[in-house]
Amino acid sequence: MNEITLSRVVPDVFRDMIQDGSGLWNSNVTFRRGMSYLVMADSGTGKSSLCGFLYGNRRDYSGDILFDGVDIRRFGIERWSLARTTSLAFLPQEMHLFPELSVYENICIKNRLTGYKSEKEIVRMLERLDVAEKLHQPVSKLSIGQQQRVALIRTLCQPMDFLLLDEPVSHLDAKNNDAVASLITEEATSQGAGIIATSVGYDIALDFNLRLSL
Amino acid sequence: MNLTGNNDNLIWRLLRRNISAAQLCGYALSNFVGLAIILTALQFYMEISSIFSDDDTFLSRDYICISPKVSGLGSLTGGNSAIIDSTTIADIRRQDWARSVGTFTSARYNVAASLDMGSRSISTSLFFESVPDDFFDITPPGWTFDPAHPEIPVVLSKDYLTLYNFGFASSHGLPRLSESMIGLVPLRVSISGRGRQEWIPARIVGFSSRLNTIAVPEAFMTWANDNFGEGLPETSRIIVELSRPGDPAIGKYLEEHRLESAGDNRDTSTAAYFLSVLTAVVVGIGAAISLLAFFILMLSINLLLQKNRDKLHNLMSLGYTPAQVAHQYCRMVAVINLAVCTASVVAMLAARTAMHSALASLDLEFFSPWPVIGIGTAVTVAVSLLNFSFIRRRMRQYYY
Repeated sequence: MNEITLSRVVPDVFRDMIQDGSGLWNSNVTFRRGMSYLVMADSGTGKSSLCGFLYGNRRDYSGDILFDGVDIRRFGIERWSLARTTSLAFLPQEMHLFPELSVYENICIKNRLTGYKSEKEIVRMLERLDVAEKLHQPVSKLSIGQQQRVALIRTLCQPMDFLLLDEPVSHLDAKNNDAVASLITEEATSQGAGIIATSVGYDIALDFNLRLSL
Repeated sequence: MNLTGNNDNLIWRLLRRNISAAQLCGYALSNFVGLAIILTALQFYMEISSIFSDDDTFLSRDYICISPKVSGLGSLTGGNSAIIDSTTIADIRRQDWARSVGTFTSARYNVAASLDMGSRSISTSLFFESVPDDFFDITPPGWTFDPAHPEIPVVLSKDYLTLYNFGFASSHGLPRLSESMIGLVPLRVSISGRGRQEWIPARIVGFSSRLNTIAVPEAFMTWANDNFGEGLPETSRIIVELSRPGDPAIGKYLEEHRLESAGDNRDTSTAAYFLSVLTAVVVGIGAAISLLAFFILMLSINLLLQKNRDKLHNLMSLGYTPAQVAHQYCRMVAVINLAVCTASVVAMLAARTAMHSALASLDLEFFSPWPVIGIGTAVTVAVSLLNFSFIRRRMRQYYY
C-alpha cells in the first residue's frame, strides 16, 4: 500500500458541527508511504476516531477513505485481518495489552501470528526501551509508561506500509520519548513505511514531514 | 524463551478465562442423558424392528382372519349374514392397516376322508378351503394339483395335529405322529356333488400355524368346484396381512362392520404396537432433553463470548481472523460433544448387552449397533456444526 486518501471524511458524531474543510475533516488529504504525519488536535475532536476509521475498527463516518484508490468500505473482514498483519500497524491509545499475560506473552501473541521478528530483535527492542527485565512479569504489574513501551514493541512486530500511533508517548518522559522515537524512526525507515501519529500537545520526538490539525 | 512458534496454547490461556466449568458440565451431563436415551431407545427399536421383519419369529408379519359375526338368529333363519360381500372386501383393501387381502374359497361339494392305520381306520366328513399361496407361512413340497394325475396335497392347522396327538391318540391308544411321519400316512378323500362321487388319494404335506383350516391348492379347489360344486361361490372368511399390527383402528373397524377376527399373533402384535409407541415416546423424551441441553450450551457459549468480548476484539485487532479465534472455542465444544457422544454410545452398548442377557433364552438374532452409533455420530456432528456456526457468527459480530 502506497497511499491513504481521505476524501471529505466526517465522523458521524460531527456531521452537524463541521461544515467547512479547514482541518483534516471534510477535506481531501493523502498520506504517502515513507512520509511522517502528525495529527494534532484537542481532546475529543476525533483523533482516535480517525485511527479507528483507518484501521477498520469503525465505519461511522461519511465521505471516503481510499487505500491506493480502493474504498475501504469494500474491505471484508478477511481483507482487514490480512492488512493488520502485513501492511497496517496500529498502536492504540488504550494499548489493548492483555493484563493477565506477561510482557513476553503479550509480544508472542502478535509475533507468532506474523512471524516477523526474531527473538534476538525483540530482546534488543526491549533493552532499548528499558523493559527487558520485565519480560516475565504480568503486564498488569507494569507502570502505564512501561506498558506503553511494551505495546509499541508489540506493534512493531509485523511488516508495515503505514504505522498508526494514537498518542504514543502520552505516558512517557522525555528520555523514553526519545528512545521510542528513535526505534520508530529506525523501523519505519527500514521498511519504508509511512507514520501517522496523533497528539494532544505532547508530541513524539519525530521529525514529521507534515503537521495537520483536525 | 520462544517468541515464535505455535500460538494456540497462549490464546487458549487467554480465552479460557470466564469459562464456567459448572455450565459446561451441566450441558455435558444433560446432553449425555438425552443422547444415551435416544440411542438406547433407537437400538431397542431396531432390535424389535429386526424381529418384526423376520418371518420366522414370534413377532413376524401379522395376519388376521376376518369373518362376519355369526348370530344365533341368523343361523336359525338360514340367512346369509355369514358372508363377506365384495364391497366390504374392497373397503378393507383400502384401509391403512391392510397391506394385502386374500379370500378363503370354500368347497361347494361334500368331502370325506379315510385314514388307514394298520388294522384300524378313521373316516370322517371334512371341509376344504383354499387361500392364495402368498398367505401361507410355509412352502409345502408338491403344492400343485394336476387333474390328469389327481392327488390332493393338504395343509392342516398345527392345532389339529396337537389335538390328535395329545387328545385323540393318547385316549384311544393310537400312536403319536410327528409332522414328517404324517406325510407318510395314506389318506383317501371322497368328493361328491351333483350326483357324482370320486375317490382321490391325498397326502398331508405340511402344517400351518397361521391358517386355522384344512387347506388345499387353489388349482384343486377351482377344479373340484367346477366339477362337483353346487350353489354360488361366496366368501365367508378373508385373510389380511397387516401393515400396522396391533393398530387399534383394526378392532374399531371390525366392531363397526360387525366382523370378528382370529389370528395367532394378536396379543403379541398388540404388545409390539405398544412397544413401538413406547419407543417413540422415549426417543421423544431423549430428544427433548438433548434439545434443552443444546440450548444450555448455546446460552453458556453466548455468555462466555460476551464476557470475553474485549479480549476477542483485541485479538482480532492484532490481526487474528474470526475463524482463528473461534477455533479455540470450536475445539472446546468438539471435545465436549465427542466425549458426550462416546459416553452415550458406551451407555447404549451397556444397555444392549443387558437387554441381550435378558432375552438370551429366546435365541433371537440381534441387530448390529453400528447404524445407531452412526446416528449418534451424525447427531453429534450436526450439533457441533450448529455450535461452530453460532460461534463464528458471534466472532464476526465482535470484529468491529
